[in-house]
Amino acid sequence: MARFTRRKFLKASGAGLAGILASHQAPVFAQQSTVHWIKWNDFVPASDELLRKTMLPEAMKALGIKINLETVNGNDLQPRVTSAIQSGSGPDVFMLFNNHPHIYSASSVDVSDVAEAVAKAQGGYYNVAKANTMDGKKVLSVPWAVIGAMIAYRKSWFEEVGFSEFPETWEQYHDAGKKLKAKGRPLGQTLGHTFGDAPTFSYPYLWSWGGKEVDEKGKVVLDSKETLESMKFMQSFWKDAFDEGGLAWDDTNNNRAFLSGTISATLNGASIYIESMRKADQYQTEKGAQMKTDILHSPLPKGPKGQFGFHLFQSHMVMRYSKNQKAAKEFLGWIHTPANYEKWFVSQKGYSTPPTAQWEKHKMWDEDPVMAPFKIAGRLGLSPGYAGPPNRKSAEVLTKYIITDMYAKGVQGMAPQEAVKWAAGEVSQIYSGS
Amino acid sequence: MEASKPAPFQFVSRGPISRALEREGTLAFWLLAPTLLILTVFIAYPFVLGVWLSLSNSTVGEPGHFIGLANFYKIFADSIFRTAAYNTFVYTAITTVFKLALGLWLALLLNRHFRGKSWVRAFILLPFIIPTVLSTLAWKWMFDPTFSVFNWLFWKLHIINSRINWLGDPDLAMGSIMIVNVWRGVPFYAISLLAGLQTINPDLHEAAAIDGANRFQRFWYVTWPLLLPVTMVVVLFSVIQTFADFQLVYVLTGGGPANATHLFATYAYQIGIGTGLLSEGAAISLAMFPALLLVVVFQLWYIRKVENR
Amino acid sequence: MMIEGARWRKWLWFYLPLGAFIVALLFPFYWMVVTTVRPDGELYRPWNHPLYSPFWTSHPTFEHVKELLLETLFNTWMLNTMFIALAATLISLACGVIAGYALARLTFRWAGLLGTAIFVTYLVPQTLLFIPLAEIIRDYRIGDTPWALILTYPTFLIPFCTWLMMGYFKTIPKELEECARIDGAARWQAMVYIILPIAVPGILSAGIFAFTLSWNEFIYALVFLSSPEQKTVPVGVTSELIRGDVFFWGSLMAGALIGSIPVAIVYSFFVEHYVAGVTGSVKG
Repeated sequence: MARFTRRKFLKASGAGLAGILASHQAPVFAQQSTVHWIKWNDFVPASDELLRKTMLPEAMKALGIKINLETVNGNDLQPRVTSAIQSGSGPDVFMLFNNHPHIYSASSVDVSDVAEAVAKAQGGYYNVAKANTMDGKKVLSVPWAVIGAMIAYRKSWFEEVGFSEFPETWEQYHDAGKKLKAKGRPLGQTLGHTFGDAPTFSYPYLWSWGGKEVDEKGKVVLDSKETLESMKFMQSFWKDAFDEGGLAWDDTNNNRAFLSGTISATLNGASIYIESMRKADQYQTEKGAQMKTDILHSPLPKGPKGQFGFHLFQSHMVMRYSKNQKAAKEFLGWIHTPANYEKWFVSQKGYSTPPTAQWEKHKMWDEDPVMAPFKIAGRLGLSPGYAGPPNRKSAEVLTKYIITDMYAKGVQGMAPQEAVKWAAGEVSQIYSGS
Repeated sequence: MEASKPAPFQFVSRGPISRALEREGTLAFWLLAPTLLILTVFIAYPFVLGVWLSLSNSTVGEPGHFIGLANFYKIFADSIFRTAAYNTFVYTAITTVFKLALGLWLALLLNRHFRGKSWVRAFILLPFIIPTVLSTLAWKWMFDPTFSVFNWLFWKLHIINSRINWLGDPDLAMGSIMIVNVWRGVPFYAISLLAGLQTINPDLHEAAAIDGANRFQRFWYVTWPLLLPVTMVVVLFSVIQTFADFQLVYVLTGGGPANATHLFATYAYQIGIGTGLLSEGAAISLAMFPALLLVVVFQLWYIRKVENR
Repeated sequence: MMIEGARWRKWLWFYLPLGAFIVALLFPFYWMVVTTVRPDGELYRPWNHPLYSPFWTSHPTFEHVKELLLETLFNTWMLNTMFIALAATLISLACGVIAGYALARLTFRWAGLLGTAIFVTYLVPQTLLFIPLAEIIRDYRIGDTPWALILTYPTFLIPFCTWLMMGYFKTIPKELEECARIDGAARWQAMVYIILPIAVPGILSAGIFAFTLSWNEFIYALVFLSSPEQKTVPVGVTSELIRGDVFFWGSLMAGALIGSIPVAIVYSFFVEHYVAGVTGSVKG
């Protein structure tokens, strides 16, 4: 029996060793006051560097809190939130897009103290910020920034087809696009499932024709004459003017395509322009000039019922499962003090617009006229769910990409009425559920 | 397998445990206990929980309450779900046919003697060994619309004039995914079928040849029937895995473009984890089960039929 | 099998197809290697660019590998995955070997039923269970730790190990145990001291197969782990090397390549056993 017990002992100590090894895997977080902050990978890398190298060490000195910054691909934020809430542990501060805070409201900590202090000090939040982060009962998250979406376009190429100013209406844009595509320089737009460039096009496009998901009373009105018109226009517009690969693009494909000279215009944040400045000699026009000199920005064209924009909104939620809620709120308060926030804002070079009105007067906006259109992105811009209130249902419609898919189906060949009816059906299902 | 006769055991005392384990039933119980424990806790229980989830309206952070079959009505009315279901069946069927055909061909080729045979045999299993997502990433890069090496190749050979949008064209994307799946699966089929081929007595082929059968007849009447048992098992495993596939679509297209390439698994992930609608996601996952069951039952029936012939 | 006919026939029917298969199956790996060492300037050339040279590069560089190893958590992921794979394999082997023995060698009332039950678990793939299992993982508080995977991987490894070992045990003559028992060994001693040593090749095969399957698993790792320090190689490479605008293809391919190496090494040392494992599973 001696052999038996020896073997047993080996097994037990092996398991013990494994246990020790495993516990080494436990996060270092447990040792001091630490806050795990997760945000998207900034399209302006300089800002993430600023955070990591300068600002977070400062925070540590000022507050005694170690901030663990994690950056992930924007499209992965939502699965991460679900995962974290499901496993009951994870990052303490989560960056969320648009009206997503409404989806996770049950898992959020009320941050009214932080948000109200910021609003008071900085001239009040824009409507879009309030709508996305407040549900009437509590403040779900602290507004962070608005990423203006504008059309970046090649000035010289548009001039060549007769447009010295950017087209004002969809019809003009269609005309320009058709001529450009004929020259091998189509327009670029994604209709894929990606959080940034797809909805920021499809929603304002819909609104500019007069279509909307719901009316002010919350009744689903997507299936309408206006929506149908927008769909029919889109179908011919797409074929005539766009790079048809856009159906599969994510938020990075149009950047790459624009910078390698394969498309002439695309809706995007300012990252294309900023990147062209960062590596000015790597990105050149076909004539050998630096591409940054050929890039201008413009808001989306006008439709029959007006000109609209939908700008990506970011906010930070403190999670209810977090064991560091107080430290997390402290940190958020600290980073939103004007002195600190300004540093981050300037490093963004206009890519992000702050959520409070006071920053419109900042001198940074005067430095580069190419970036001027982005200054007021926070003020314009509507939220999904227009004309109803932004809430969990509009958030669900957004995360399911129903509006984007509606147009995607249409340009892939589905009959316009069918595509619209499909989308209206899906939206109704969501709005009718509890 | 012959082993030398072991020396007689010198066991002086036999404790109560040894005696209890003498009974086959008791020993079997203890030997199977750990396995049954793990499988119960991590398969049976979650399965039941999954069923409950699908009949409730839980979302992330909010446990729901019982709502009956409402989720299932919702997803069957969802056109994306129907597309995913259709895709899964077609994907499984087509890739299995190709994997079987190509795998068989490769097995037949490997069944000869040639120099470097063991090297070749070792190397060709690589697609199957290497973690799927890693090799799929390589394919994603090869399919990239702007930088694709395949586009370059076809362009140089003057087969195409403008780019092929491997993963961006809704009609083509599914095909591209199938290519990767077949690429990955052929080695497994080949090695398994090769083992099967090697158990076939060559005398049978000689006898058939003497009787005047040509190559194809020899294959069809001698090789194929003897290979059928192994084939059926391989196909069974492969079908289950392919039906439940997630990694390929997740890495290559994420379900796009415009939901054209979703399978059950990826759509369940997108709804359940991506959008946080856990109950709906669970319902989509569960929808796989009846289909899998049908497929497996059919195959088992077929195997039995073949074995009893 | 005899090949009749002229030499050219041999080329057409044998060497050409075989060559085509080999190229098709191995080309992606070659592509991985070339991309890993290709400098960024060359990497991002469109395919219709005049200087596009896909099959080789004249300026190989190790900058992507360096970036991968020094600036990402890749090394941590490798350690994690290794640890998880080894632990899961050990557990699965332990369970699978004794379960296989029980089903192959012992007669008892529920042998048939239990064997079928274990088979049936294969009908419940990971992609079916991951959502409810995530809840369970959370309730046991092992979410975001390696134990979430170490305890769940055996669910798909044990059935396979069991069948493999069943098939293997069936080839060992019963006389061996009977002789040992006549000599005074208890039943379990006959199993441990006589049969298991003989079954080592089978155990090795099962172990290697389990090891490669653990490395290959993705969805559980994706859903149950969230902190970057906890991730496994497949999840880490796909989620962390895509930053902002850019897919860092150079580092991605380096990660894919290096991430494949442990499995390839283990496999190369034990090819015969692996093949035996594959064939054993389908024959059993």
